[in-house]
Amino acid sequence: MARMKFLCDTERCIECNGCVTACKNEHEVPWGINRRRVVTINDGEKGERSLSVACMHCSDAPCMAVCPVDCFFQTADGVVLHDKDICIGCGYCFYACPFGAPQFPTGGVFGSRGKMDKCTFCAGGPGEANSAEQVRKYGRNRLAEGKLPICAEMCATKALLAGDGDVVADIFRQRMAYRGAAGLGTGWGVAYDKGLRKASGLDGKAAGKED
Amino acid sequence: MTDHPSRPAIPSEPRQHGVPPRVRARITRYLLALLAFVLIAPLVPYAAAYLGAGNVPNPGAGLWNEVRQRAGPADANTQARGVESAVLINQVGERWRQFRSEMLVPVGAWLLLGTLGFLALFWILRGRIPLEGGRSGQLVPRFSVNQRVVHWFAAILFVFLAVTGLVLLYGRFVLIPILGPEGFSATAAACKEGHNLFGPIFPFAVLAMIVLFLRGNGFNQIDLKWFFRAGGLLKGHPASSGYYNGGQKSWFWMVVLFGIAISISGLILDFGVFGQGREVMALAHVVHGGVAVVFIAASLGHIYIGTVGMEGAFESMSHGYVDANWAREHHDLWLAEMEAAGMVGVEPNALEEVKRHDNIDFKGFGSPGTKAVQG
Amino acid sequence: MFLEFVEGPLWYFSAVVFVVGVLWRLVDIWRQPSRTDLAVPRGSGVPGALRTIVTRSWTAKGFSRGATFHLVAGYMFHIGLFVLLIFAAPHVKFIEERILGFGWTPAPHWLFMVASDLAFAGILLLWLRRLMHPVMRKISTFDDHAAAILTFVVMLTGCLALLKSHDSLRAIHMLTVCLLMVYFPFSRLMHAFTFPVSRAYTGAAMGRKGVSA
Repeated sequence: MARMKFLCDTERCIECNGCVTACKNEHEVPWGINRRRVVTINDGEKGERSLSVACMHCSDAPCMAVCPVDCFFQTADGVVLHDKDICIGCGYCFYACPFGAPQFPTGGVFGSRGKMDKCTFCAGGPGEANSAEQVRKYGRNRLAEGKLPICAEMCATKALLAGDGDVVADIFRQRMAYRGAAGLGTGWGVAYDKGLRKASGLDGKAAGKED
Repeated sequence: MTDHPSRPAIPSEPRQHGVPPRVRARITRYLLALLAFVLIAPLVPYAAAYLGAGNVPNPGAGLWNEVRQRAGPADANTQARGVESAVLINQVGERWRQFRSEMLVPVGAWLLLGTLGFLALFWILRGRIPLEGGRSGQLVPRFSVNQRVVHWFAAILFVFLAVTGLVLLYGRFVLIPILGPEGFSATAAACKEGHNLFGPIFPFAVLAMIVLFLRGNGFNQIDLKWFFRAGGLLKGHPASSGYYNGGQKSWFWMVVLFGIAISISGLILDFGVFGQGREVMALAHVVHGGVAVVFIAASLGHIYIGTVGMEGAFESMSHGYVDANWAREHHDLWLAEMEAAGMVGVEPNALEEVKRHDNIDFKGFGSPGTKAVQG
Repeated sequence: MFLEFVEGPLWYFSAVVFVVGVLWRLVDIWRQPSRTDLAVPRGSGVPGALRTIVTRSWTAKGFSRGATFHLVAGYMFHIGLFVLLIFAAPHVKFIEERILGFGWTPAPHWLFMVASDLAFAGILLLWLRRLMHPVMRKISTFDDHAAAILTFVVMLTGCLALLKSHDSLRAIHMLTVCLLMVYFPFSRLMHAFTFPVSRAYTGAAMGRKGVSA
């Protein structure tokens, strides 16, 4: 059984917000809700890095732990989903989440937030896969169609990886291998260096696709 | 040192002064070598690390330290609009979760159940505290209309907020097994909306309580004695007290302090539109939840002694009058003051009450046809 | 199931009872025999009637101090109630879909909530004063308490259904609304319609007598 994971390669992300746009378009996410967002550290300075972040589908998910109505569940693939019919919009998951993944459609007074919305790893929610109701509440269910999350599929630089944790880890491990021991923080010069890639014997091949 | 044994060694011979130049030079060489070793030795690991290239500090460490905000807020921005949308890792979430799951829920449950258990035990051992002298039939006015209205106003709000709050805190463990997920979802939704709508009224009730009940609630020497005598709760150990006893004063100040704390923290949680981030919200929740369980536990004692726990106590807040014997047994010093003022044994005359509490000028009622009646 | 019954047959039944009952009560008042005023009128009754409808909305001189509580709490409750009744988004939607066929711009959510808070605080304070004040308690009848409690329960169930996501909560609110509507014409809640009638009657009589009251 696969264990679904996201991974954002900071050496490759160019802050194009393609993942954000793809997500919003695919799921018809209402205004004000960002299931995925790109955060740039030290923007415009030396050492600038961008990270695309969404729900990380934790194994011991804090949102699941604190939900007063217990509306979360984890699929066999390790995707953390929630039931909007059960959710009461209390906001506890937003307090507990490390990544700021849970979002609320209205930020009104008197604690009126509306039902929580978050990244579903393109796996919809409870109910029949890709039924009209499921699509309306949770967006498309791409996993049920045998596809991976649209954000990673659309990523132009393949900075954002999504899929089985083992495959994602293999791809990233090989990238690390040709970047050398320094690994992180090497910059685009190393991350995209053809010579280095050739030398590492990994030219043009993603590990996942070789399997 | 190899040639040392071959040297003719006659140490006691006074022929030479000091150390021979040859030996001195050798010692100097040894010392210099030692000095060089001491100076260079610490550099060796650095050199090895540098040359070996196996131990370079991770250049990504700086990035991840910034992501985790280990040295204060990171210089981060994002296209996503929203509170703290540029924060990659929420710093307080885990601590808040641990407080709620490992402190608030279990400790609060033990506190509330413990209080209930203590009250049940007290009921079994002591029973309803009776009026020892029976009813005298003489009434003493105790709480005004406005005081009673405000008390019950605050009480209704408090009970509603406490029940809805406890449902949200413990419903997952207690009510989901009974009602099922859908049934509890409806219950919790109702409680959440009720709590959020009624909550903002509570601060005004607390303010009104402070205004109307502040007088006479300052602590004094008598209260100290009252506490030492356990408030007269033990049989045959009466404790003297004025208008309010030490316990009532303590409860009043609890209402003031807890009420203010719970109101401010509640308003921060209820009105999340002023850009307050998760740190503020989590802190407000810690204060709100922590104070709430203590407040509710304390209120159980207040409710117990005001209703089933003591004969003759409830009527002070329902009708506003108490029996003179109740006042004698629980507020003897106050009864003495009231006797001196001629306020004992007054009839609960409706018109008199209206005069006293509303300060209406009743002159107009005497002669029909005057302006007052036209209105 | 339950919601369909409450919003269907029960709602229509209650609406009919409400409309017919209110009309019947008003016509009944209209047809009450009144004594013919034989005196020559010193002025017209109409201005007096109109003036009194307005002036009775405020406390008369001499009673202002004693009536402050009623004035403040009364207006808190009534203004709050009418804002939330007529301008709350879910109510406007219901009126548009089920009653009139057209709607209007609802109040923003915060105004709806503030109005609800005022109404809740007002009705609680007024009812508690009815209970606590010895004179108020003596002149209150079962009808007064029933009307106050029923109105409060309707408001409370509406408040509990604010999330608008559970049919059961909506059904409970609708059920209490139906109860209130059936009870309405036969209770003091009729003052919502009769207060201008009663004020106008007094005002017209005073106007004919040439008294400014």
